[in-house]
Amino acid sequence: MAVFISRRLIFLVFVMFGVSFIIFGLQMTFSPERRAMVFVTTPQQSKNIPVLIKKYGFDQPFYKQYFTWLKEVSKGHLGYSLVASDSVWRAFLRYFPITLELTLFASPCIILFGVWLGTKAGQKSNTAVDHFTRIFSIVGWSLPTFLFSLVLLMIFYGYFRIFPPGVLGDELSMLVYGNTSEFIRYTGMFTVDGILNGRLDVTLEALKHLVLPVLTECVVICALLMRVMRSGMLEEMSKDYVITARAKGVDKQTTILKHARRNALIPVITVAGQLVAALMEGAIAVEIIFNRKGIGWWMASSAIQLDMPVLMSMCLFFAIVFVTANLIVDIIYAYIDPRIRLS
Amino acid sequence: MSTLIEIKDLVTNFYTYEGVVKALNKISLEVKKGSTFGLVGESGCGKSVLVRSIMRIVQSPGVIEGGQVLFHKKKNGKEVVVDLLQQSEEYMRSIRGSDISMIFQEPNAALNPILSIGYQVSESFLFHVAEEMCEKILDELNSPNDHTFFPIKQFLKYTYRVGSSDSKAFVLKLFKKIPFLKKWDKRLKKEALKRSVEIIDKLHVPDPEQTVKSYPHNLSGGMKQRIVIAMALACNPDLLIADEATSNLDVTVQAQILELLNELKKEVISSILLITHDLGVVAETCERVGVMYAGSLCEVGDVNEIFKDPKHPYTKALLRSVPLFSNEGKLESIEGTVPNLVNPPTGCRFHPRCSLVMEQCKQEAPELKEVGPNHTVACFAVN
Amino acid sequence: MLENHPRLKELRYTLYRIFRNPSAIIGVILLLFFICIAVFAPYIAPPKDLDRPYMMPRAGYTITPQPPNEKNIFGTTEGQYDIFYGIIWGTRTAFRIGLFVITTAVIIGVILGTLAGYFGGKVDEIIMRLVDVVFAIPFLVLAMAIVVSFGRGLDIIMIAIASIAWRSYPRVIRSAILSVREQDFVQAAKTMGVSDIRIMWRHIIPNSIYPVMVIAFMEAGSVVLTAAFMSFLGLGAPKGYSDWGQMVALARNYIVGPADDPLKFWYTIIIPGGAIVLFVLAWALIGDALRDAFDPKIRRK
Repeated sequence: MAVFISRRLIFLVFVMFGVSFIIFGLQMTFSPERRAMVFVTTPQQSKNIPVLIKKYGFDQPFYKQYFTWLKEVSKGHLGYSLVASDSVWRAFLRYFPITLELTLFASPCIILFGVWLGTKAGQKSNTAVDHFTRIFSIVGWSLPTFLFSLVLLMIFYGYFRIFPPGVLGDELSMLVYGNTSEFIRYTGMFTVDGILNGRLDVTLEALKHLVLPVLTECVVICALLMRVMRSGMLEEMSKDYVITARAKGVDKQTTILKHARRNALIPVITVAGQLVAALMEGAIAVEIIFNRKGIGWWMASSAIQLDMPVLMSMCLFFAIVFVTANLIVDIIYAYIDPRIRLS
Repeated sequence: MSTLIEIKDLVTNFYTYEGVVKALNKISLEVKKGSTFGLVGESGCGKSVLVRSIMRIVQSPGVIEGGQVLFHKKKNGKEVVVDLLQQSEEYMRSIRGSDISMIFQEPNAALNPILSIGYQVSESFLFHVAEEMCEKILDELNSPNDHTFFPIKQFLKYTYRVGSSDSKAFVLKLFKKIPFLKKWDKRLKKEALKRSVEIIDKLHVPDPEQTVKSYPHNLSGGMKQRIVIAMALACNPDLLIADEATSNLDVTVQAQILELLNELKKEVISSILLITHDLGVVAETCERVGVMYAGSLCEVGDVNEIFKDPKHPYTKALLRSVPLFSNEGKLESIEGTVPNLVNPPTGCRFHPRCSLVMEQCKQEAPELKEVGPNHTVACFAVN
Repeated sequence: MLENHPRLKELRYTLYRIFRNPSAIIGVILLLFFICIAVFAPYIAPPKDLDRPYMMPRAGYTITPQPPNEKNIFGTTEGQYDIFYGIIWGTRTAFRIGLFVITTAVIIGVILGTLAGYFGGKVDEIIMRLVDVVFAIPFLVLAMAIVVSFGRGLDIIMIAIASIAWRSYPRVIRSAILSVREQDFVQAAKTMGVSDIRIMWRHIIPNSIYPVMVIAFMEAGSVVLTAAFMSFLGLGAPKGYSDWGQMVALARNYIVGPADDPLKFWYTIIIPGGAIVLFVLAWALIGDALRDAFDPKIRRK
């Protein structure tokens, strides 16, 4: 077990180096002038470009710049984000909870709904449930997240006037973002902070604004999950030990849940890493459309405005998330499948 | 000896892309109590389909289309004859594993790799004798030696009292959903595990205590097959169906398993329906044998009779093709190939390969007719 | 008899399995429909400016989109770009993106996977680690980073996506090679003196083609989705170009209309969006049907 984890951690370090190397390499395609331009906001300042180049070392050879950057990162200096007008680290702490909130609300829905429907579809092939699941999967796959969000917004906000975009309504936004003594942002997630501050109206308002984003994420990711779950179940239902269980007189429900599904979950968990990645990607689209300033939005804005320190740091962050997710997946594997525990 | 199970005119068809596979063509046979019946035939002749039809676990696209399966079941001391094909799924579920059990060819595949051996054997007990076990635990709780903490004891007494009359009671299921109460069946599981250890031990598996804690991949092929047999015998079934149970084991292990089955027949089971393509196994272990070909029965009779004096051309050819130590020369084989059951030959399904074929054989399918004591043959040339 | 040749029979059976699936039929019809539009684009929507046929013509310069009318069958977007024209020529754009990216990705991925599986050892290690690293970053994030580095434009997007999309294929090919390599019939062929390349060609490629095809079809769709999103963000085609994602971007300010008629500008979103969805759906349906057709467990019942 310990061997497992340490191997994974080494892998993480390796991946982080690889990722940062690639991203840094991309950054190097900019000429030193162009990179200095990012810090320039007025024509007068453009005279300072050579100074900036010297200051940030843009004219140094690749490896030197890379090492400088590594040094800075290890000290915790991730740079300055123009988009956020704040240090990358502090901006991250501000934006991350918004995305986390979305993920935390979306994940249980996705898991419950996806696993449940996928199981039902796999066990009753060629019935209505099965067809619905297949159609849902395919359509969900074909639907671009951003488009789905737009349409939802159009219908629910435009037409029905409920579920507005944004994180909170105007009034409460002023309250939570402004004065810090009245409302303390413990976690940065407004649903939680509302309760912690004794302001249930904040929580409810935040929930109202979460409905559409969570719905979007759910539909898109469930489509993936359902498909894998269904195919896993289909395979399991024809396995010998499932027939043996039936021949032993085990009732239908136990056969399906204990014998078939537990085995079917193994391939599902394998794609869990992919699902997490899809969740992150979906967050980018959702945050832009629904105007929620989380890390997805931050990333996209940084890309458009060429805010390189942010891009670098976010790539690192995503790599960490990905490898951690895989680590958790492996641990769950070992828990479910005894064959893996010993090897 | 009286009948245990009687199959009459069983028809099973499979609806596939290539057409309708007529797998079972009006099969009729009878297994008596306390006997071992061997069912032989080439691969694909329908032996497995037959036994799965009996237990009604035929996989789609297979459908049982006709006939009767009359099972003589002991109920409360009296004997009742039940047509298994007419019963509900829930009834069949209660029969499977407790009155009629089946063991399969691949012990590796028959055991779920992610569940412990102990759990898998316990399942047999938990699904069939749960009420009896609950009663036993209730007695234990009521005895003066039991020192469980009072409130817990009352609660457990309640749950096990309910369980002893109906293990599937709604209340008990409800309790399973509530965090602390769901542990009520711990004793039940322990009892089931205890019985599992006992039965595994009966099957001569070394170190049963340790075995129940381990997983299928920890065991060898022979051990796994013993576990599979243990699962099947857990509730003392009247009929044990062994579907090529020894075909995948090497010869020494095979011999051990067969001996074990014989031993257990006296104590635990009543009858065995043994499916195999190995005539040697039949000769060793069975009292009666039935020969199947392409979905029909050709000949049924006592083992000695059949081996000494086979009547049906197919049976004769089969026996001839078994190479004897003393023989020399070419290996005998039967001309032709097994027919495609989507378009089986008309009349007698063996006629294209039969040396005694007559006109009548191509028109009608022969029925089983007696040619000797307990010896029936389906062939126009013989009758 | 040619009729009974086993390979042909398998092929017929495969085609039967594919087309028995109603979704496959729908998918193929949709795809053919789009192909026709793409091929006949110049006739269906004649370009005003022959030098730049992909730029949508403008029926004026008013900002607000106009609903469908006689002159502009699907209406116009912000800035009066003709939606109908954009949809027709956008089909060509979509095909360009999809085909270029997938072909490149498959070629790169299959080559790398073959090298890894065939040579094993250090080469295998390096290639697989590289694949792991590329996998570690979400698709979109890396694509954005690349586009940012090299500038905007549809071509850049295509190259950016292609340089990530290859990552799914090496694993598939490599595992197919590894599994086939160990099998008895390969050993037998080797003992008979069959050369390695021939073994690869006759045994390995046919076995690994199917999953590659399935993945390729499904990814064709998602590639177009990613490209559409990046165009939507403004990282792709220039304003007014016939690209469906770009057209949705133009609709951004018109998601919600005036208070009395909030769905007034539905056509600016729904029509280009619908085109995207149907296009991706076509590929996905075919890919799904292929997967079911090739799945050995469901094949023979």
